Amino acid sequence: MAYVNGQRPLPSRAGLVVVGGGVIGCSIAREATRFISDVVVIEKESDVACGTSKANNAEVHSGIGEDAGTLKQKLNVRGNQLYDEFVRGLGVELKRQGLLIVITQRTIPRDGGMPEEERMELLTRKIPEGIVAYGENAGIKGLRILTRDEVFRMEPNVTREAVAGVFDPTYGLISPYKLTIALAEHAVINGAKVFLNTEVTGFRVEGGAVRAVITDRGEIETPMVVNAAGVFADEVADMAGAGGFVIHPRKGATLLFDRQVTAEYVRSSVAEFRLPGQRTTQSKGGGAMPTAEGNLQLGPTAIETDDKYDTSISAEEIEEIFERFHYLLPDFPRDALISAFSGVRAPTLEEDFVIGASEAVRGFVNVAGIQSPGLASAPAIAEMVLGILHELGLSREPRPDFDPVRPAPPKFSELSNVERNRLIREDPRWGNVICRCETVTEMEVVNAVHSIIPATNMDAVKRRTRTGMGRCQGGFCHNRVAAILARELGIPVTEVTKDGEGSPVFLGVAKEFLGGAAR
Amino acid sequence: MSAIRRPQCVVIGAGPAGLGAALAAREAGLSDVMLMERDFELGGILPQCIHDGFGSIVFDQVLTGPQYAQRFIERVEKAGIEVKLNTMVLEMRGDRRITAVNPRDGVFELEPASIVLSMGCRERTRHQVMIPGYRPAGVICAGAAQRDINIEGLMPGRRVVILGSGDIGLIMARRFTLEGAEVEGVYEIMDHPGGLTRNVVQCLHDYDIPLHLSHTVTFIHGRKRVEAVTVARVDEALRPIKETERRVPCDALVLSVGLIPENELSKQAGVELDPLTAGPVVDERMHTSVDGIFACGNVVSVFDLVDWVTQTAETAGRGAAEYVLEAGRRKRKPPVRVTAGRNVKFVVPQLLREFDREIDLFFRVEHPERAARTRVLVDGEELYSRKAKMVRPPEMIKAGADPGGARKVEDITVEVVGDEEEA
Repeated sequence: MAYVNGQRPLPSRAGLVVVGGGVIGCSIAREATRFISDVVVIEKESDVACGTSKANNAEVHSGIGEDAGTLKQKLNVRGNQLYDEFVRGLGVELKRQGLLIVITQRTIPRDGGMPEEERMELLTRKIPEGIVAYGENAGIKGLRILTRDEVFRMEPNVTREAVAGVFDPTYGLISPYKLTIALAEHAVINGAKVFLNTEVTGFRVEGGAVRAVITDRGEIETPMVVNAAGVFADEVADMAGAGGFVIHPRKGATLLFDRQVTAEYVRSSVAEFRLPGQRTTQSKGGGAMPTAEGNLQLGPTAIETDDKYDTSISAEEIEEIFERFHYLLPDFPRDALISAFSGVRAPTLEEDFVIGASEAVRGFVNVAGIQSPGLASAPAIAEMVLGILHELGLSREPRPDFDPVRPAPPKFSELSNVERNRLIREDPRWGNVICRCETVTEMEVVNAVHSIIPATNMDAVKRRTRTGMGRCQGGFCHNRVAAILARELGIPVTEVTKDGEGSPVFLGVAKEFLGGAAR
Repeated sequence: MSAIRRPQCVVIGAGPAGLGAALAAREAGLSDVMLMERDFELGGILPQCIHDGFGSIVFDQVLTGPQYAQRFIERVEKAGIEVKLNTMVLEMRGDRRITAVNPRDGVFELEPASIVLSMGCRERTRHQVMIPGYRPAGVICAGAAQRDINIEGLMPGRRVVILGSGDIGLIMARRFTLEGAEVEGVYEIMDHPGGLTRNVVQCLHDYDIPLHLSHTVTFIHGRKRVEAVTVARVDEALRPIKETERRVPCDALVLSVGLIPENELSKQAGVELDPLTAGPVVDERMHTSVDGIFACGNVVSVFDLVDWVTQTAETAGRGAAEYVLEAGRRKRKPPVRVTAGRNVKFVVPQLLREFDREIDLFFRVEHPERAARTRVLVDGEELYSRKAKMVRPPEMIKAGADPGGARKVEDITVEVVGDEEEA
């Protein structure tokens, strides 16, 4: 079970404490439970995957976009290769639908003074060949050059300015929060404990080694700590005296579009190839990619911010995204926009991953600076961190009782009618559609509330079931979901929150705000 | 699963449109009419519309929403119409195969001889109008807030800013006030109110709630719950003017920024949609482009008055009944497209096929105009003409025309002309 809201006390000791319940923390925790069972994950938010893990573009990159020789590229390429095995048994689908890298006329502008023949030779032959050679050198398999016609056959709605393309078949999409939830639950199935709404406030370090993690709910003795605190990793490291790096938050905004419209316009993910000098920001440049569930995403932006909680999106960013991607997908309708979100990346000044045992504090492992391709690299990061933990003394003996399967609850919308009717006969709540846009039933919401990592608020239910993620954005279902949450949690509906403390959905009951006699 | 049922007519959605259509189909001679509703009760949006103003045309009385709905619900119950509540249509195909689900019957399929689409509309959300900022609790559409307060008895805000002066926004400004919440103001991006004049007077003026025209919300503050919004005046191109930005503390932002006909099922079935109305293209019987599929009410075009929704519903219900009873013996004639003439944005129905009956034409103007005259021209001949002191885009206009018999018609034009042009 997960340990929410202090319902259960912290254990007095653990073999490993992971700070941060994002995709990286949960990956490491799950991998650690292959060897030991007393793993504890500490997460300050009301759910796992509440930071960058819920607000990225769901991409399992191949590694083609990374600079050669970086840790990022090495772990990305390796992570991508490990992914199918990594998600086996989790009940979360990785869709290896591929990435179409489009080379366009503006890759080398016409007015650059280059003879046209030479320019086209570069655009249609040398650049695609260069991309493929670069990728192959990094160990990426299956890269394929496409002619202009092949590009249009693959993606008929891409810009007519396309001149050639490279198809990267190992690129995939996975729901980052569903993955994180599944990893956390899988870890719990294998003995781990996940404490939500619990914040690390310090560490006990004695004789140059970490002895305990101090939280706002008490202390856990442990010989090993993994710092996977995302944008807060520098602060957490400093608490232990194991720091020395700085996270400078950089936010990225993404626009999200209607699934029905998306399906009419794009099949795979599409990115425009830009020469290094053409990148305007410290980001691979983003693209147009459907989410794992099929909503087109355009973005992300890359804006430096001094606020680690800055998940806002500005009018300028919205315009920038539309402008940038209008070129790539000129006919895509703006009014299919249903949502927008912003996540905060956690880069270090070096812009590379910082993964390693602290030299100052024995037993303390930093896993920091994880920005894109962090999701793609997660399996390889976990593998690398486990290697470090083994060096620090974590058992190398695989547990014979490790359970390889995390059962995933059924999703009504994905079932056949025969399967649906079997479930409805078992429990009629399977036949009660709560969310119209995404066809989510009452039973799925109930299951989410009672799952291993329980959903205790609207956003947590949404991440597990997709309630409110459709085109009406919860207009029709918010009160129904709130009522089910209240009923299942045994709380008044006025205590139901959007995403944890301080975010009540309702501020009172009718007549409550009337003064005097009316009360 | 038992054999596929083939009702004579399935009506999807039991709001005012569906109720009216099911009754009309039954009364026009169909014995096997099924009415499907995804909510737990009949009436659609009406049960939450506890204000008055309904029924002045249909009943010559001023009723509340629940009263208006109840009159139809009682008739539906007596008429022997099969009602399926808590029932969600999962799929509708162009050959009229429907797959639906509810807790009692499970997933079931139907192949009705006719279908009436009456799914109504949904609200535009903050992202569809692209309001920047955070995504805290407390950003809610006006209709959803209305349901929270009037049906669930829950208050989604205590100090409220309302964006958009559509009718629901205006009515909710009053409703929040009556519930003891404070409405800081209503902000409207256009230079004229979005809702009916009577609602501006009765809901804002009577309660001293300020209406800020040519203003919009440029940012939502608050990471967990709405803490404030930034508002700004807009220029003529509706762009916010930075220097006029002002931070307004509040705990909720209520949006009344438009309604969108809910046509996801229509699209599945291949029903042709009109980009101007975002609803199906229909003819004078409310017949869509797909044989045997009719549509009425707000799924066709967002109407201002429930009475007019009822009128289109009765047309659609009768149309479906005629279609079934004639069993395809009558061939659909090639249509004449109704021309939206001067200062007319769109007309419903878009197509006319037969001219043997009086035709109701619903339309909106493109821009406000004083001292105007609305006209319907049939092959150049003025068959309808009415003076109006003022015509405004938020106020839909209904015109009638009786082409007088089944003669051949080449052109029908609806237009609005100024009085000086008249002279």
